[in-house]
Amino acid sequence: MRRHLAVLMAAVALLGPTACGNSNEPAAPGQPDNVTVGVIPILDVAPIYLGKQKGFFSKRNINLELAPAQGGAAIVPAVVRRQYQFGFSNVVSLLIAQSNGAPVKVVCNGNNSTGVDGQDFAALMVKGDSPITSPAQLAGKKVAANTLKNIVEPVVRASVRKAGGDPKTVEFVELAFPLQPAALQAGQVDAVFVVEPFQQAVLAQGGRKIASSYVDAAPNLTVATYFTSQETLTGRPDLVRRFTEAMKESLAYADTHPDEAREIIGTYTQIGADVRAKMTLPKWPADVNRQAVQALADAALGDGLLTKPADVDALLP
Amino acid sequence: MRRLLLGLVGLLGFGVLLDLAPRLGLVSERYLPPAGRILAALVEQADRTAFWNAVRDTLITWGLGLGIACAAGIVVGVVIGAVPVLREMTASTIEFLRPIPSVALIPLVTILYGPTTITSTLVLVVYASFWQVLIQVLHGVADVDPVARDTARAYRLDTWARVRYLVWPTALPYVATGIRLATSVALILAVTGEMILGSPGLGNSIGVAQASNAVPQMYALVLVVGLLGVTANLLTRAGERWALAWHPSVRNEVPA
Repeated sequence: MRRHLAVLMAAVALLGPTACGNSNEPAAPGQPDNVTVGVIPILDVAPIYLGKQKGFFSKRNINLELAPAQGGAAIVPAVVRRQYQFGFSNVVSLLIAQSNGAPVKVVCNGNNSTGVDGQDFAALMVKGDSPITSPAQLAGKKVAANTLKNIVEPVVRASVRKAGGDPKTVEFVELAFPLQPAALQAGQVDAVFVVEPFQQAVLAQGGRKIASSYVDAAPNLTVATYFTSQETLTGRPDLVRRFTEAMKESLAYADTHPDEAREIIGTYTQIGADVRAKMTLPKWPADVNRQAVQALADAALGDGLLTKPADVDALLP
Repeated sequence: MRRLLLGLVGLLGFGVLLDLAPRLGLVSERYLPPAGRILAALVEQADRTAFWNAVRDTLITWGLGLGIACAAGIVVGVVIGAVPVLREMTASTIEFLRPIPSVALIPLVTILYGPTTITSTLVLVVYASFWQVLIQVLHGVADVDPVARDTARAYRLDTWARVRYLVWPTALPYVATGIRLATSVALILAVTGEMILGSPGLGNSIGVAQASNAVPQMYALVLVVGLLGVTANLLTRAGERWALAWHPSVRNEVPA
């Protein structure tokens, strides 16, 4: 019986430290700071994985841990509650959070569209034999979006508007990216807005791109950024500065070494080497495209995603 | 022997069916690759450190959760079951808490412990499997033979001796059932937590494979989770036979 008790005690003891493991206090002098960053395991975050591998963070005394969450929705609250010191999120999620009063602050750019129409890492696509050839024809049609009331809606509407259609009547259907190629093929939706590697999947089943919506929304659109909480920003300014520096170095490195970026994507995703070689990578500029974020904020407000205007200057660094 | 052989034939038949269905075009190969490709993906996974780390993480979450749930379920069950007042006081609360699906606690544990932490998933695992054990133990403790109980009292056995020689042997078959049920429930919740919360483990890897459009890899990982479940069931059954070797339900050589 005593041995059984010992096993129980050991189990409790093991559970203890994980329950309250926290790294919101500065490390002891000379020790690296433990930093957890909430990311999504997609190609957009290749620079941070690459930067970690290249030692851009460790040389700035940051012991980086990447926490790949399933879907970005959980990252903003976790950063605000300081379970993560930094997070990766698309711009619209952050604009919504900011306009709702969440204390979030962007520290660094995340990734941008390529800016090249027809050759972006995301596309508005239809089935091969679809009669739809232009986004203008999507008025009154069903378009799959991975998350409703988020970045897909304003950018797809931008494509429809640009092509001369009525963006108000597009009907969005929520469908996770992995389900979209099959839904498109089965005719459950008229169009999908997919990112890589699902753009390659839709192409492989004979689908066609009808627009590069990130490109239509704004030139060189900043799609996502790395952010922190106001509390971390004011409480640990030195850490935020070092993280931002390391992140900028990582972005610049990834942008100039696409082959290494493709390589590292294979380590934290399961995307096969053949698809990795074919897929279009995003751009990774070091600085946030302010005008594009403002344009997205205006579009989001117009579409009713934001109930009150977001303060873009307060959100961006 | 014959049962084992037939079982293997059935399994093989299922594999062949799974392999032929996409090859004959009954389902699209894109969404359900032939079994051969899934097995090839499994072999390829075995080369990745990330895969073995995921297996280890799932085993830790599962084992730790199950251990805590069993220990707590047995101790709480024996204490509550042995004291009639306690039993009546807690009956309604237990019946209220028990049916709450563990996954409904996902938002709560995300707020408390954050996404992607093992603690969040562990809470789900413990919550779901604890009730399985507790309910069985309560039934087991209530099943003590009145004559045996009176005899124990007549011999003036103390509390510890009554638990050890009267309550425990009576409850043991129930405890074994509880542990076996909890084992499969704990695996389900461990994988669910990993998939939805993103805590490290096979569930998370399945999610990553899905997000990578790596369909054969995804099915390969699902297969691994299934194999874990089968192995666990075999182990708990073997454990049951060992712990209950004296019990009439296991001693089948004695005519009932």
